[in-house]
Formats: sequence, structure tokens, C-alpha cells
Amino acid sequence: MAALPKRIIKETERLVSDPVPGIIATPSEDNLRYFEVTIIGPNQSPYAKGKFKLELYLPDDYPMCAPKVRFLTKIYHPNIDKLGRICLDVLKDNWSPALQIRTILLSIQALLGAPNPDDPLANDVAQDWKSDEKKAIEVAKEWTAKYAIDETEKTNDDKDESTTKESTQ
Amino acid sequence: MSKIPRNFKLLEELEKGEKGLGAESISYGLTNQDDITMTYWNGTILGPPHSNHENRIYSLNIICDESYPDKPPIVTFVSKINLPCVDKNGHVLVEEFDTLKNWKRSYTMETILLELRKSMASPTNKKLQQPPEGSTY
Repeated sequence: MAALPKRIIKETERLVSDPVPGIIATPSEDNLRYFEVTIIGPNQSPYAKGKFKLELYLPDDYPMCAPKVRFLTKIYHPNIDKLGRICLDVLKDNWSPALQIRTILLSIQALLGAPNPDDPLANDVAQDWKSDEKKAIEVAKEWTAKYAIDETEKTNDDKDESTTKESTQ
Repeated sequence: MSKIPRNFKLLEELEKGEKGLGAESISYGLTNQDDITMTYWNGTILGPPHSNHENRIYSLNIICDESYPDKPPIVTFVSKINLPCVDKNGHVLVEEFDTLKNWKRSYTMETILLELRKSMASPTNKKLQQPPEGSTY
């Protein structure tokens, strides 16, 4: 096993010492290229208060090629598919070695704050988003409450459980 | 060489399968498109020409549990087939199939499907009498 590149060591150290607000990234003990990530849904978005789990992996060619990352928490979003894969330009064509893990995670957090149904990965969700944005946002809120908020936190919430509709997704 | 984690290896295989970048004689994909754990897969093998398998399409189930790819997946035929490494219930026997017996982390579901097809085309196996087309276990 080749030694971990200095760049990865530096980035990892900085993620811990100078964390991005609302984002936690922790390397796995037995694979220092594999990170468990949590992103808090941005305020004023349907994902607010949600704790979304992601996983991230730095391929051998990093930073010449982009990190691999996907959601593990179910999420209703036009740019995130059923397997948690993310449609994000900086993860694909617009990747550059000048970008970092923290840049990627910030971009994902921003994507939660600004869904883009015109560049969809989950085509069915994007269709819903375009045809009835208000309803789609409600579904996203329901999924956030259902999958991304701990049960203990729910009881503190003023949300009325009985009014929550079952999602058709 | 670092160890690619299970989930990212499976995503790689999935994307290759989706794009049709692999061999034309086999295919595979998730059984359930919503399965975030990517455990249950369908595979198909086009029977090799110049054999009793010619023009047949064999369906299989592949299970990649938590130990994949350190350990091989569990492979089971859905379509009935007469092949020495397949038992009477359709299970591919690890001890009788070299790809599973001498499994390497770098192997993929595609590797397995291609090697099964190669086995079907071997001199002894290509002549074996086959069950009626369309029958299943």
C-alpha cells in the first residue's frame, strides 16, 4: 500500500481543524481514502434541519480526477437519483485539481439550497418539480422529516404527524 | 493500490452496465432500481454459438452482500441449464467454478458472466443436452 499523498493528509487534517459549517467529514479508520460525511440541510430550503449522510471516496488518481460521492440518506431532489448519485458539474466535467473535498461538499450543500430541475438526474422528480414546484417542495420536506431527521428530534418539532401525507414516490 | 470500498466498486460496475460498455454477450443490472445498498442484481448470458446453448438467453440472480468484493457474490441461475458447475437448484457451485473458487478483489460481475459463458462453450460442455428452452428453476 502506497503512502497516503500529503495533499490528502493536509485536506483531512483541515476538515477536522477548520470544518465547513453544517458539514462533518470523517475518514474511515481502515481506509483513509473513504469518508463518512454528514451535511445539514440549508435553512430556508425543504431540507432544513435534515441530517443527510453521504459517503465519499478518493480514487487513486485524486486530485487529478474528482472524488466519488453519493447520498446514503434518501432524498427527494431533481439532481439526486434513487441511489444517491449526484448530478453536479464539479464532480464531472468541471472538476479541477484546484478544487478540494471541502469545495465539493460545499457545492453539494449549495445544491440542496438550489435544486435545478433543468439539469436533472432524477427525471421523474424533475418533472414533478417543473409541473408543480410547490407540491414537489412539500414532498421534499416530507422525505426530509421521514428519512433525515432523528425520531427524537421529531417530537420536539411542532409538525403534526397526522397531516403528513404518504408520498407516492 | 488502495482498496476501493464496496459501494463505489458496485457503482462503477453499475455505470458500466448502464452504458453498455461491457461485452455484448452478457448484461447485468440492479434487480430493484431503488436498492441503495446495491445487493441484488440480475444478469443475462447469451448462449455461445456452435453449442447446444446457441440462441438461448440465460437469466441469473447475483447477490453482492457486505463482503463483496473481498468475497465473491452468490450466483444462481434462474433459467434452467445443464452445466457441471451448476447444481440441481441452479446455484453456481464455488468449488466447481474457478472464478468463484479463486476469487480476486479485482474481479467483477462481468468477469463471472463472461467466464460462465466460456464454460458453456468448452468442448465437453457445449455438447451437453439442455433443458427445454424457457424452463426455470
